[in-house]
Amino acid sequence: MIEIRSPKGLGRVLSLAAATTALMALIPADLLAQAAEAGSQSTVTIPAYGSFPAPGNRVAIWIAAQVHLFFAAFVLGVPMFAVVAEAIGIFGKETKYDKLAKEFTRLLLVSYSATAIWGAILAFGLITLYPGLWSYLARIFAPSMWVYVSLFFFESFTLYLYYYGWERWHEGRAKLMHWSLGILLNVWGTAVMFIANSWLTFMMSPPADVVADTAPEMVKFWSAFANATWMPINIHRMIANVVFGGAIVGAYAAYRFLTSKTDEERAHYDWMGYVGNMIAIGALIVLPFAGYYLGREIYEYNQQMGITMMGGFMSWLWIIQAFLIGVLFLAGNYYLWVGMGRIPGAERYQPYTKWMLAVLVLGVIVWATPHSMIADRDELAAMGGTHHPFLGVLGVMSAKNTAVNLMILTTFLSFLLYRRANKRAVVPWARTGTMVQTVIFVLAAMIVLFYGVYGYFVTAIVRIGFSVYQVLAVLAAMGMVVALDIMIMRGAESYGAIRWGKMPPRSQYALFILAVTFTWLMGLMGFARSGIRQHWHIWEVMRDTSEFAATPPLGYAAQVISLCVVIFLGLVAFIFWVGSLAEKPIMSHPREDSLPPTDPRLAPAPTGD
Amino acid sequence: MWQTNLKILLIVLGTLGLYTWVASSIPQVASAVPEELTFSGDVSADDLVMAGEQLYAGAGTCVACHGLGTRAPNLLTDHAGEGTIGQRCGSRVSGLDCKAYLLSSLTEPASFVVDGFPEMVFQARTFSDAQIWSLVAFLQSLGGEVTVTGDDLESAGDSAEGASAPAGPSQTTDARALLQENSCLGCHAIDGSGAPLGPNFDDIGGARTAAQIRNGILDPNADAAPGFDAMLGVMPTTFGQSLSATQLEAMVTFLAARK
Repeated sequence: MIEIRSPKGLGRVLSLAAATTALMALIPADLLAQAAEAGSQSTVTIPAYGSFPAPGNRVAIWIAAQVHLFFAAFVLGVPMFAVVAEAIGIFGKETKYDKLAKEFTRLLLVSYSATAIWGAILAFGLITLYPGLWSYLARIFAPSMWVYVSLFFFESFTLYLYYYGWERWHEGRAKLMHWSLGILLNVWGTAVMFIANSWLTFMMSPPADVVADTAPEMVKFWSAFANATWMPINIHRMIANVVFGGAIVGAYAAYRFLTSKTDEERAHYDWMGYVGNMIAIGALIVLPFAGYYLGREIYEYNQQMGITMMGGFMSWLWIIQAFLIGVLFLAGNYYLWVGMGRIPGAERYQPYTKWMLAVLVLGVIVWATPHSMIADRDELAAMGGTHHPFLGVLGVMSAKNTAVNLMILTTFLSFLLYRRANKRAVVPWARTGTMVQTVIFVLAAMIVLFYGVYGYFVTAIVRIGFSVYQVLAVLAAMGMVVALDIMIMRGAESYGAIRWGKMPPRSQYALFILAVTFTWLMGLMGFARSGIRQHWHIWEVMRDTSEFAATPPLGYAAQVISLCVVIFLGLVAFIFWVGSLAEKPIMSHPREDSLPPTDPRLAPAPTGD
Repeated sequence: MWQTNLKILLIVLGTLGLYTWVASSIPQVASAVPEELTFSGDVSADDLVMAGEQLYAGAGTCVACHGLGTRAPNLLTDHAGEGTIGQRCGSRVSGLDCKAYLLSSLTEPASFVVDGFPEMVFQARTFSDAQIWSLVAFLQSLGGEVTVTGDDLESAGDSAEGASAPAGPSQTTDARALLQENSCLGCHAIDGSGAPLGPNFDDIGGARTAAQIRNGILDPNADAAPGFDAMLGVMPTTFGQSLSATQLEAMVTFLAARK
């Protein structure tokens, strides 16, 4: 129980604060009544915790938060590439991109209310099950909560204008204004996310001058808002939302592809699935760097928290993460390799596939090798030391960084081969250019390997610095190779148009696996971020004194995460189905300029596959 | 259509089932809540050891570093041929018996950094006296004799809430004490003690002006000291908040005079 003792004068102030907080948060009537009594009596007792029937408070709030986050990530990620797709449509004069952007936005529209509903469930869950924590946070963050609500309002109505104005404002200046609405939608959405992130990161990394005895009113708003992990989380979530949105769009397209009745539809959704997958995997390649920044900030804020995360009771979590990311790399590449079957000329690259697969599999094996695990005396004795005599060598940071960088390079190579599969370069220096590209690839791989091996012979602090050189080598190689490729393929001849729609169904199931894995991985990372607080609601400021204060093991967490994913995907399937009901009449009478096959790549595909 | 839906459903559930199974198959480690310990004056050594072991393996998160022997000295089994911690604790620091050494190294980790390892990040202020003493008893029990008694707990309670009670901000303006309290010697060396991860303090006044030293404390990531580029980003940026102005100037004056 939390006791608020107050003299009568202060009681009025407290009652005002409590009433404001209650109004803000829509506190239920019983709590509101208690707060109102603060003015007439000197002591008000607010229960620290409510009670939720089985499975209890923790799982209830966990599910509410996680499912809300899934929807929120989707509705924040999709507008980013919807607005980019619309821009390609406007400035590249490619109407199929405009149609794609509109279809993205339609998914957004139907997902929006689900996001808000789960947000309300989360807010009510916090108010009723964790009133003490909620009251504390509201007393610090009340101003930002009002701003949040206002921005959410603007965001909603901008979305309505953006979607429903699509047909009306479809050319000339009006189209540009429409596009600017899309940009505005992203601005509102990003601001909303940044505000919510400040609340949750404050729980992780409150400012150093906030201690258990600090009254919420004494906490400086901006130092609480812009706390140590706020910006790292903002950046990490922004990129992760793009990855997640791309994956869900890919799964949606895969479903529509599998259930398509015409070649035209099949071609469109094949292309849409490809775009979704490219967005997801492309952003995924950048995500580890944002994760590294976040991890570094956590360590800098509090080493004990960092060690708990990477080497404490959560150490096994990163093995699971490696396994999941391995699945993502394998499924993403598999989709590309299968997709090359519909590209004339791609057969010349097929012999390389098995080697790329070998590199990816070896990379996953190394990355998922345990090393710094918690071990008790019996386990130490069984291993004959603190590490496994053979596997221990592969489990260290040097080996893992090398593995993941080579996996990124390999995936990039897959994209490159896919990109140039049906093209024949005509510039006279094409052969030389390709050789230079090969040398760049080999050099990058050698730099990665060199620092990987060298890392075994230097101290830990020096070794950590090597990862930067490895990453820079990979990024530089990717940049240079792409730049060269654009020049080499200028005016290239075509082996034939991509036969969109000519994809075997198994490729589409890979898109489902990608979506499920991204979603599950997001749940796992949510558990990691929240779990490192352990038995603290607010790290070293407010203890969790409830019966659910202990942080559960991974097996338990995995069950809850899977349940959240089932709820989310089930709702998404329903929402998208509902959306498709409204869409069908539109599909049968498309506007002239929205027909897709104006591009040769969208030429009608041969029947079936 | 229904066949396609069924296939999708099976793939989704199969993938989820696989991940759940994998996550349930690895060693299951939970993070327990530190148990509120209340011991009477006649508490037995066994009770203290048992409570300490639970804390060590659970909420204390000690095994994250000390269970491995790479991040920190191995306390569970032999370390560097010196025996278990219970065997070697009495000879670690002359003048300190095993119990005093263990207690001091828990409550003042910056003063007891073992060669070859960084300073321990254990935050004693988040644990109660009883929890700290139970840890001492457990560590003694690993090859040594448990000498912690109920008297130790009672005397800790009498002495200003004990070593582990949450302490307010230090008021000292003694620069050497501030170096200790702020764990500066975890990375910097002075007079032969400390670690060489950051610039040495013995002659720092000759290489840096007072203003540079002050900036280095307040905004350590703005500029790396020559030869320490790789360490940029490691030093905490919170000293501007945690030190008072008087304390900061005391440290700056002290360090600037080291030539």
